[in-house]
Amino acid sequence: MIRHKLQNMKVLQDIPVHKIFTIKNTDKAILEKWFYLMTLGRMIDEKAPNYLKQAIGWSYHAPYAGHDGIQLAIGQIFNRENDHLFPYYRDMLTNLSAGLTAEEIILNGISKAADVTSGGRHMSNHIGKPEWNIHNVSSATGNHTLHAVGVGRAIKYYKGKGVVISSQGESSVSEGYVYEAINGASTEELPVIFVFQDNGYGISVPKKDQTANRKVANNFSGFKNLRIIHCNGKDVFDSMNAMTEAKSWSLENQQPCIVQANCIRIHAHSNSDRQDLYRNDAELGYVQESDPLLKFKRMLVRYERFTDEEILTIEEKAKEELKVAHRNALASPDPDPASIYDFVIPEPYPASKYPDGLHNSNGAKKKLIEGLNETLKAEFRLNPDTFIWGQDIANKDKGGIFNVSKGLQKEFGPSRVFNGPIAEDFITGTANGMSRYSKKIRIVVEGAEFADYFWPAMEQYVEMTHEYWRTNGKFSPNVTIRLASGGYIGGGLYHSQSTEGALATFPGIRVVYPSFADDAAGLLRSSLRSEGPTLFLEPKALYNSPAAATPIPDDFEVPFGKARIRREGTDLSIITYGNTTHLSLKVAERLSSEGYNLEVIDIRSLIPLDKETILNSVKKTGRVLVVHEDKVFGGFGGELAGIIGEEAFEFLDAPVRRVGSAFTPVGFNRILEAAILINEEKIYAAALALLKY
Amino acid sequence: MIMKKIGLFYSFASKKTAKIAGIVHNAFSGEDIQLINVDEVKKEKFLEFENLIFGVPTWFDGELPNYWDELLPALEEIDFSKKRIAVFGLGDQKGYAENFCDAIGIMVDFFEEKGAVIVGKIPLDGYTFEGSKAVRDGQFVGLPLDQENQARLTNGRIEQWVANLKKEFN
Repeated sequence: MIRHKLQNMKVLQDIPVHKIFTIKNTDKAILEKWFYLMTLGRMIDEKAPNYLKQAIGWSYHAPYAGHDGIQLAIGQIFNRENDHLFPYYRDMLTNLSAGLTAEEIILNGISKAADVTSGGRHMSNHIGKPEWNIHNVSSATGNHTLHAVGVGRAIKYYKGKGVVISSQGESSVSEGYVYEAINGASTEELPVIFVFQDNGYGISVPKKDQTANRKVANNFSGFKNLRIIHCNGKDVFDSMNAMTEAKSWSLENQQPCIVQANCIRIHAHSNSDRQDLYRNDAELGYVQESDPLLKFKRMLVRYERFTDEEILTIEEKAKEELKVAHRNALASPDPDPASIYDFVIPEPYPASKYPDGLHNSNGAKKKLIEGLNETLKAEFRLNPDTFIWGQDIANKDKGGIFNVSKGLQKEFGPSRVFNGPIAEDFITGTANGMSRYSKKIRIVVEGAEFADYFWPAMEQYVEMTHEYWRTNGKFSPNVTIRLASGGYIGGGLYHSQSTEGALATFPGIRVVYPSFADDAAGLLRSSLRSEGPTLFLEPKALYNSPAAATPIPDDFEVPFGKARIRREGTDLSIITYGNTTHLSLKVAERLSSEGYNLEVIDIRSLIPLDKETILNSVKKTGRVLVVHEDKVFGGFGGELAGIIGEEAFEFLDAPVRRVGSAFTPVGFNRILEAAILINEEKIYAAALALLKY
Repeated sequence: MIMKKIGLFYSFASKKTAKIAGIVHNAFSGEDIQLINVDEVKKEKFLEFENLIFGVPTWFDGELPNYWDELLPALEEIDFSKKRIAVFGLGDQKGYAENFCDAIGIMVDFFEEKGAVIVGKIPLDGYTFEGSKAVRDGQFVGLPLDQENQARLTNGRIEQWVANLKKEFN
């Protein structure tokens, strides 16, 4: 095939689709398989609402009837040896066609423990089989496009033989992340097929309210390296030809392709939707008349490929399979409520060389930024399946906004160390995606230039925290999200704020916030060797601070959930982390000269939390001051204070106090910044008040 | 010269297309024109005519209606090389501006490949739309009619079209 490298967009979109499959030339056995799958699929599709009516389950069912051609085709061209498939919530026939059994579909629908998608944890109709590379996708519909692009990146890097197929409804293309995904696939030239199943509605919203083009795929006609194919998703042959063409195109050209399949939605959006409220009888009538299954059946008989009797036999066989599948699924056990804590996050790397994350090295002191940089390099040398990307991360001598990744691209090359676009959600989402390709892969992303620019990536951040639990332990994104956090640099909004109060509320991710170079290095090593996601918050004000510089053993490791007592004392426990560790140590020193002996605990790791060290300290001192840079209201200190209040109340001689920043944004003018952020004086005053309580 | 008989093929079950077919039929009054229901037609019927008119609305975002789509494979082996074919179709220039009367173009593609001479092409004047498979070399390869937005122009357009067909048909 000619590689259309210098094509203009029009040429790419005008390439005709090869007509490989027709009613006359398609092998009878293939036609029989297709008709069987379509018949069985439709029987399940029509039976699904009955489970809800009988209070068995399947409370969410989005019928696929009207998408039959394209869904059959997606499943048929998918090869689980090499391809990856991201089906959406309406893709029941896609899954069946890709090889799932009727029983597996029903087990998902009624949320049984044996559900191969999620063990009953994820919503019904979100069908997949991760072990076959049929991914379990989010209800945030269309956000799997970013994951698909991430897998595409891995296929390209590892020279895989497959393609990625991402499927979604046309309305979810309105989501910004879909544009980011397709832009990325186009820029990086990745073998990803984006299928838009266009039934004209996003629940009740007609597509004219989504975008100006009736065919939303045409919105992408200016994207380079991207082929766009339109097909009739109601027609088996047109859909098979389109998907076959798309796959061979993407494989041969290593470029993305959009297939927009025109479908109809015969039924309501789901069983909670009443389509008679917004579709008139005429419309409902003509969609019924355009039923793809009936059309296919008519064609099979009209062109004498099957007799009426043969058709009936196939339908009877499907009916029988459904009956058995139904019976087996009903008898299958429900999930065990005691299992809810299974697979929240994988067990981390044990860090057995330094089980407490402590060392006695007396070597030369290194700055925090050096600790991070050298650990990244060491781990990249050790593990060839490591990657790092982000904004501003690699251009000659530039290595990240603060140069943490300086020299990485030179040493490890642009395939492992590269810039991302200014699209935080894309940066984060493709990390989730790429790590699906192999368990060996470890990815580091600079999630944003500054931590408080990370908000556009929140949906992918949340997604990352769900994956392991939602797949019942079948997939964990092995990703370290690095963010340069906090203030004291005169940066103002989006450059100085703390984010951990918001980011630590999601089960399914580790959150660490070191304050010294050695801990930064040790925690980063643990992150890079662990399965599961880690949010790695870096106090940017300390990158080059002499106060944060320490000796760092070459192989230093800090396990998650191990606090470090930075100063031992008996009169008051300061529980802190990040920038305020240093402020607290100064206050402790100052109060020491006034006769008080303060203990300063740097928790290092917010999740998991070392409750034991904290509570032991409280028991010893009886007085606790929780200190952090983030706002007091809604800050992580609320959790710390709550735990201490609940679990060590009887040891307290004074109320637990919290100090942090004001409940305002962070101002740019240095005077405003100083007034808002916590400082030594505020900690001193609070500590003294507690000591005198 | 006496015009050879004409076959006017359309779906009798359709509403708007059937109505238009009636007007076309009337415009040929005095000629030997036969109405054929494509819902039930056998492929042999197409052999009976040298002049054929097809009525084909555009469905959805640029598709043939099922009754034509399911019929075309049956016509693949027929030699249309001595036949003159004209196509009219209904579309919506505003609601479906990107695919205005695509079905006309799809039909013409099919029958041209089978050797037919396509007649009844008309200029684009008077239409406003964004894209159409029915447009080739700056003209429509058949007669697009828009009952949604330009119903008042329909009779005149048919009259003009039929007048031309009378010259172009065998």
